[in-house]
Amino acid sequence: MAMDGDGTVKVVPVRHYSRWAGVACALIFIAMLVHTLLSRVPDTTGQMVCHVVNGARKCQPAEHWRFYWNVVGQYFTTSEVLHGLLLTLELTALAMIIGIVLGLVLAVMRLSHSRLLSSTAWSYTWFFRGTPVLVQLTFWYFIHALYSNLTIGLPFVNVTFVTINTNSIFTNFIAAMVALGTNEAAYFSEIARSGLIAVDEGQTEAASSLGMTRGQTLRLVVLPQAMRVILPPTGNEVISMLKTSSLAMTISVVELFGATSNISAGNYEIMPLLIVASLWYLIVTTVLSIGQYYLERHYAKGALRTPPPTPIQRIRSDVRGILSKFRTKRGVQVAVAP
Amino acid sequence: MNTPMVEARGVHKSYAGIEVLKGVDLTVTRGEVTCLIGPSGSGKSTLLRCINHLEKHDAGELRVDGGLVGYEARGGKLYELNDKQICAERAQIGMVFQRFNLFQHLTVLENVTVGQVKVKGSSVEAANAKARELLTRVGLESKEKNYPSQLSGGQQQRVAIARALAMEPKLMLFDEPTSALDPELVGEVLDVMKDLARSGMTMIVVTHEMNFAKEVANTVYFLDGGVIEESGDPRVVLTTPSSERLKSFLSKVL
Repeated sequence: MAMDGDGTVKVVPVRHYSRWAGVACALIFIAMLVHTLLSRVPDTTGQMVCHVVNGARKCQPAEHWRFYWNVVGQYFTTSEVLHGLLLTLELTALAMIIGIVLGLVLAVMRLSHSRLLSSTAWSYTWFFRGTPVLVQLTFWYFIHALYSNLTIGLPFVNVTFVTINTNSIFTNFIAAMVALGTNEAAYFSEIARSGLIAVDEGQTEAASSLGMTRGQTLRLVVLPQAMRVILPPTGNEVISMLKTSSLAMTISVVELFGATSNISAGNYEIMPLLIVASLWYLIVTTVLSIGQYYLERHYAKGALRTPPPTPIQRIRSDVRGILSKFRTKRGVQVAVAP
Repeated sequence: MNTPMVEARGVHKSYAGIEVLKGVDLTVTRGEVTCLIGPSGSGKSTLLRCINHLEKHDAGELRVDGGLVGYEARGGKLYELNDKQICAERAQIGMVFQRFNLFQHLTVLENVTVGQVKVKGSSVEAANAKARELLTRVGLESKEKNYPSQLSGGQQQRVAIARALAMEPKLMLFDEPTSALDPELVGEVLDVMKDLARSGMTMIVVTHEMNFAKEVANTVYFLDGGVIEESGDPRVVLTTPSSERLKSFLSKVL
């Protein structure tokens, strides 16, 4: 081994040619994307715009942003759009709460020793996963056609406790909330069940041996550990629900997409308003993803010896890594132990 | 107080048609250490789990501290206890598992306090004080903020013992407490158990540590095929076994 006088040897890092080619392609693609997003195109009206430059009059066709950013900006924070956004958030939150609470009950029923309870839960999931959510949404919207009054009582014998007019409860919003929530429960019950059975049986036994009741065992020992398994797919479900809630516009709930659609129905600016809706969905999804990350970190307590870095810590270490790459020259001098 | 802590008469237990316990008789005197030895599948762990009702025995009489396990005798009938009553019974019996079963999402301190606070209803301050005292006793006072995954097997098992002791049990059950440990870590757990035995705790220990049995146990029971083959003073039973089966078992483990 050739060694310099000071006992160091030159180390030549391996060249990743195919990776560099991939990076070049990606860079070209990103540049194209940025270019098209920021590009301007001539108006279809054929109007000309003229300027006087150095005493000469110069005319050119009028232009606008290809993606109508000015129109997007104009509508981005109108009260109609913001009201729609609020309704979307409410619908997502309420449907998820129904889905999670009901889903958890279904999951526990599914794991029950009682065959009746577990098959009831199974049948629920079978039914609500087996029919399209759009069909269910419409079904709940027209529920008054089946039940003009909602009655709580005992079947077969004529005992009723409460009777309410269906239309007075099932407003468009409530119908959408119930439809999305009950549908979500079917999916969430499977997520919760997978989390519950992922927790080692020894944890339950240890809790029992301390004298904990079944409820305490579930609440204090099993669920907190199941959360690690439950959270990532639940984050998925929340984000999915955010977007699925746009189906509620079909039963005239004016949520985000409903609001932008209403506006574009009036002014024919279809593309800009689709972009307005998309941008809001993206913003909320981003916020939710960040929240999910920190929630997952919280429930990872004890499961990992060293918790993963926060995104800020990771960005910092990435930047440090890239900087140090530039600082050290290729073919680093590395000290060799004698 | 002359009733034995645990008394089993003809205890039977089957899983899916396979009989694991075929009529076991056993008596555990208060303040004594009893070791259950025997080949795997002989029913030692099952017997232990029946005593704190993690498993329900099918037939026979099983009493802890004079009371029937899982039932109440009233007017010539046996009434099955409800969940709450069974939990109250279990809270008085500590159990240490082969695979520690510490609550992974709780710190060492929380593992030792959770039962005190949630089951016994102690205040958090009292529970913390007791937990720290017990952690000191098992030599882990510096680890209270750690999570179980950050501890060695021997340390985890000592925390598990502290967790069980925090409930102030009248009886401690050990289900092969050193079988999942690296050989070099076995000693630290056995030391804690010896210390506990000296303090007068009634203990039933399922173990393969014959030296521990010889040194600490007052009585040893040898189970094979779901029945007690031989029992008595460990210094006698383990050195001059009378049955052929115990002789061959001992020749394999010693």
